Amino acid sequence: MTLKVGLGQREGRYLLEPEALALIKAAGLPVIEHRTARSAEEAISAAGQLGYPVALKVVSREIVHKSDADGVQLDLRDAAAVGAAYRRVMDGAARHHADARVDGVLVCRMAKPGVEVILGLTRDPQFGPALMFGLGGIFVEIFRDVAFRLVPVSELDATEMIREIKGFPLLLAARGRPARDLATVVRCLLTLSRLAQSRPEIDAIDLNPVILYEEGCVVVDAKVFLTGGDGRS
Amino acid sequence: MRANSDNLTAIFTPKSVAVIGASTSPEKLGFQILKNIRDAGFKGPIYPVNPKATSILDLPCFPSIAQVEGTPELAVIIVPAGTVPATLAACGAKGVKGAIVISGGFSESGPEGESLQRQALEVAREHKIRMVGPNCQGVNNPYHGLCASWPLLTMRGTIAVVSQSGTVAAALMDWAAQEGIGVSALVSMGNRADVDEADLIEYFDGDAQTRAIALYIEGVKDGPRFLAAAKRARKPIVVLKPGRTEKGRQAAESHTKSLAGRDEVYQGAFRQFGICRAETLHELYDFSKVLAYLRRPPGRKVLFVTSSGGCGVLAADVAAGEGLDVAPLPEAVASQLRSFLPRHCVVNNPLDLTGDATAQMYKDVLAAARGSFDVVTVIFGDPIVGASEVIDRDDPELVVFLGGAEVEREEGRRLHARGVPVFPTPERGMRALAQLARFGLPGEKAHR
Repeated sequence: MTLKVGLGQREGRYLLEPEALALIKAAGLPVIEHRTARSAEEAISAAGQLGYPVALKVVSREIVHKSDADGVQLDLRDAAAVGAAYRRVMDGAARHHADARVDGVLVCRMAKPGVEVILGLTRDPQFGPALMFGLGGIFVEIFRDVAFRLVPVSELDATEMIREIKGFPLLLAARGRPARDLATVVRCLLTLSRLAQSRPEIDAIDLNPVILYEEGCVVVDAKVFLTGGDGRS
Repeated sequence: MRANSDNLTAIFTPKSVAVIGASTSPEKLGFQILKNIRDAGFKGPIYPVNPKATSILDLPCFPSIAQVEGTPELAVIIVPAGTVPATLAACGAKGVKGAIVISGGFSESGPEGESLQRQALEVAREHKIRMVGPNCQGVNNPYHGLCASWPLLTMRGTIAVVSQSGTVAAALMDWAAQEGIGVSALVSMGNRADVDEADLIEYFDGDAQTRAIALYIEGVKDGPRFLAAAKRARKPIVVLKPGRTEKGRQAAESHTKSLAGRDEVYQGAFRQFGICRAETLHELYDFSKVLAYLRRPPGRKVLFVTSSGGCGVLAADVAAGEGLDVAPLPEAVASQLRSFLPRHCVVNNPLDLTGDATAQMYKDVLAAARGSFDVVTVIFGDPIVGASEVIDRDDPELVVFLGGAEVEREEGRRLHARGVPVFPTPERGMRALAQLARFGLPGEKAHR
């Protein structure tokens, strides 16, 4: 898929998820395999192409918190499950927001399990663009275990920010768990750093989660917020 | 940028000073500052300016800056806020190059003050006057006999103190004076209308007396300029910046944004630019002290030599927590030490000479064991006479002294006089050593 994203012409404060994923992918980050679908049949066909299990996510500018509207359906293992999930997503969207414009669903391959990390970009009023790295899940939600560095981020900076978080040992080999591919995280951070410099119209990016493996990683969910819209609620 | 800090010379090393708003009342700042400039031993002419007095402290007083006989390079201004812009204009007309505006009533006090501050800055820029303040506690350069501040402190040293808070600056200089190490200069920046931390980092990085810069800020005035100055600086910078607990985070749809509290981004920037961060006022002092007086050890292997078992354990504990390496004594060294130490000494790391340790025992142990470690922490935990002579002045150890009462104070004074920093507790000493290992200037030898 070679979707050209012209951010300058975008209305609204953030990109729809397919647009966000396309942007991230074009920048050079590994993105979960996905298709967009506008009907249950299309969704089933996309799932067949991608391979089961898959996840469905609602695509709508009006629905920001997708899971509040049954907008995320995970671990769908066959065509019947995808068809049913498609209907749940559409019903949920209608219930949540009666006149929400729904641009279909995103059908994603379910990523293999791994360690969930979060990578992000923000713009600080005093220091300009800054990158964030942290462990996903409760580490970020409860312990706020994250590290920041200002853009441009060097390879050393990226390495140090990964090592700086308290949960860093969880990325190393321990108790039969394999060590995670830290070099790929460094590369992703450097890519985000370049993206922040070359696209001033991007105000914030959340890659949450990025699933990190022994080799490589995959961005499962991407949000891209635009300046002017500034990402604040 | 270079030119920017070069023209701060009128503020730090003026040939002459006018005190505008000098007062005859001893309880007024306009009196105290004049007296402190005189008592600190300022060598050039001092011009008190006050239309209602003919002389103050036996110095002839002038009714206005325009009527001063001579050209003061620096003006210290302590007049009501509303008259500051006009006063600066008069200074400009007179040829004044630097101004320290002590007066409050500017941006800290509301919109009216903010507009006054803007006017003051415009006037200063127009006349090419560099201005410290307003709303500040002044400047003290003990190497120039210039105490345009309070309290009167004159002890010379190698730490430059730069602070948004006057009291923080004064406290640091006071501690340094009490310990006999002094400071290279003190600047209370106040509202930072003109001169800010970026200018001062640059200035003190180029200042021959300064070896470390202690900075207290509640936030930087200009992020990119601050970072550029920090990046260029070769001397260690220690920052105390409150705001860790500040809940200034934005509610945001973006997760990254909501996690990016101001402090988290500051923390990242400090790490990225090699700035040492202190968490408390004591740490700001301790870290600046260790970085100003000692050089970075070549590695992290640390030996503890102590007369107090308890303090040895406390120190080793904190050191290990800070990532220092409390390595075991090599067997060859241990057996050599056992050959001359009394049997009750604990030959280990920490090496406990116990309560009857003498200066000579410390000397012998250091001679035998020094070479096997990157740095030695010497803990004097008793009144050990001659302790100061144990420490090599060219290659000092990290010294902690406590529990020694009068002997401790005397030996501590001697150590500080020789430029060997002494820390009052094992914890403070080890936190300081950890910063030295990360941020210290490289080099085998301390430079004095």
